[in-house]
Amino acid sequence: MSSIAIQLDKVTKKYRTGRSRTLGDLVASKLDALRGRNDDVHTASRGRIGSTIWALRDVSIDIPVGAGLGVIGRNGAGKTTLLKLISRVTWPTSGAVRVGGHVVSLIELGAGFHPELTGRENVYLGAGLFGLTKREIDRQFDAIVHFADVERLIDTPMKRYSSGLYARLGFAVAIYSRPDIVLVDEVLAVGDAAFRRRALEALRRLIGEGKTVLFISHDMWNVRRLCSDILWMEEGRVRAYGPAGEIAERYMNEINIEALANQSVNLQSHRGGTGEIRYSSIELVDDAGRPATSIAPGENLVVRATYRAERPVDRPVFQVAIIDVDSGLVVTTATSNSAGVPAHVDGDGAVECRFGNLPLRPRQYVLRLAISDSHQLASYDQVTAGPRFAVIGRGRGVEMLADEEDGLVSLPYEFEHVSTLSTSITPRTA
Amino acid sequence: MSGSAYFELLMNLTKREVKGRYSQSFFGIAWAIVQPLSAMVVFTIVFSRVAKMPSDGVPYPIFAYAALVPWFFFSNSVASGTMSLITYRNIVTKTYFPREIVPLSQVCSRLIDFCAASAFYAGFMAYYRVTPGPWALMTPVFFLLLILFTVGFTMATSAINVFYRDVNPVVQIALQLWLYLTPVAYPLSATSARFRWLFVLNPLTAIVEGFRSSLVFGRAPDWSTVSVSAAITLALFGSAFMMFKKMDKYFADVI
Repeated sequence: MSSIAIQLDKVTKKYRTGRSRTLGDLVASKLDALRGRNDDVHTASRGRIGSTIWALRDVSIDIPVGAGLGVIGRNGAGKTTLLKLISRVTWPTSGAVRVGGHVVSLIELGAGFHPELTGRENVYLGAGLFGLTKREIDRQFDAIVHFADVERLIDTPMKRYSSGLYARLGFAVAIYSRPDIVLVDEVLAVGDAAFRRRALEALRRLIGEGKTVLFISHDMWNVRRLCSDILWMEEGRVRAYGPAGEIAERYMNEINIEALANQSVNLQSHRGGTGEIRYSSIELVDDAGRPATSIAPGENLVVRATYRAERPVDRPVFQVAIIDVDSGLVVTTATSNSAGVPAHVDGDGAVECRFGNLPLRPRQYVLRLAISDSHQLASYDQVTAGPRFAVIGRGRGVEMLADEEDGLVSLPYEFEHVSTLSTSITPRTA
Repeated sequence: MSGSAYFELLMNLTKREVKGRYSQSFFGIAWAIVQPLSAMVVFTIVFSRVAKMPSDGVPYPIFAYAALVPWFFFSNSVASGTMSLITYRNIVTKTYFPREIVPLSQVCSRLIDFCAASAFYAGFMAYYRVTPGPWALMTPVFFLLLILFTVGFTMATSAINVFYRDVNPVVQIALQLWLYLTPVAYPLSATSARFRWLFVLNPLTAIVEGFRSSLVFGRAPDWSTVSVSAAITLALFGSAFMMFKKMDKYFADVI
């Protein structure tokens, strides 16, 4: 038991929804009770007030000391409720939450700060909120100020601070409050890249020191960098809890497939071009000609498009581009002279663009198609938001290093250790 | 997570409250004196000059001010304390600490005002050549009752207000009426003997009368009134504290 930092035992949390209760509702419900009616729901004119949502349902997990645990899931899955229960901001409706150690929650950076007070005073106020005494704060003060890099402004009221600086000081106060357990809820979204990097480094260092870190984020990249395990929440329940690589891949696959299921391809949206010749249909198929919206890395993908020319067009160039939904253009392709496009195109026709052994990483992609003239001067048609597809990982998860997953494409490579320099020729430093 | 850490948190929140209230105001803490002082001037004109209200043989301004200072301590504490958990929703919904620190910090911040107004009162008494007698030693008793009653009342209204926001407007209006139902502008002896028991049930009656008798008149308080007040105050404080601790688990869910 001593190695368990946080234990949730059949924890359920219910919230009331709808408008908040008023004295009028209280009186009305007492009157109802007197009349022998005992339901939570009032008459239609007063609106439903008794409806409840189950933020967490029967959640039981043990989180070991020293874990770096990523908490993922859709909005409303119960991630923040989980953190609030662990930090004792709120209490479970039933079940038990057992926490061993001093919890510092970063549900919002600098939540306790007051803009009229100086940075120095707010450090004492904020760290006090985390349960530190003045003497303890005195000892950590320089480290906090140094981490947040606010030496110059420490005696300035915080209303003069930029929001990034505000967040930095809030983060610094939290991690120097001698936590045993740190709860981080999407707070790294604020602040610049340099701050995010330092914050992640600091959290990683805490894990290295044996502290327990729970990290809610929608940014899989950060989760993978920080966490060895992932807790996947769904509709108030634990969907999965296990090694980060494996869970992250399952999660991303599901997100990608779901996004595809929800899309309705409307070629007319964001349609550009002069219209002499236009695509009339675009479909994605696999080698066997079956429609494909999700493919595995290394499979073949065929983009099949039909077109209709309203009048004869000289040497049109057909283009297909693959766009990464998150990070932009991956590749553009175009029919060349050797592609067999007739010198004059009129009426209906079809083109096919074939990507063999698609070297794309598991992500979501969208196709962009265009038709232009051979000098790229006239644009006849532009389909900015074409069909989408997803590349779905095949469950090699655990073996894959986080860094290996980054980037857009998989390129074949060989990478080996060639030789060791003998110590005698190690350059000496002056 | 020690008691001393939470005491320091209370002090820090109090400081935050006082600083937030008076920073960037030119007169700063002097405003704490102006409020009872201006009420005193109004009362002197309306009750003493126009209505010829008796003040039991001492100058009316000093008679009124002795009651106004504890009254405003109570009234201001309750007025801002009732909303305090809502005002501090940012920390209540995001960090854990004993929730009673929030309404307590409101009362503590009004204690600063109380001290400033009391210091002014000392000079005021010297001006009217009123010298406190041995009964002035009773003042701490009434001060303690005042604190207990104020803390108990504020904890109750702040907690209930989290769940039923109607409490705040009700409290703000009640405070206005309460001032006139408490012997602040007039002595208890001026009330009709038939209804006097109703005034006695108001714990603040014994408290403001007590401040007056020990500081201004230099005589013993009316012990029966004081004991009724003390009993009600202790009962209120105890039940308010228990209610608060029962409700505070759900504050973050409702705010």
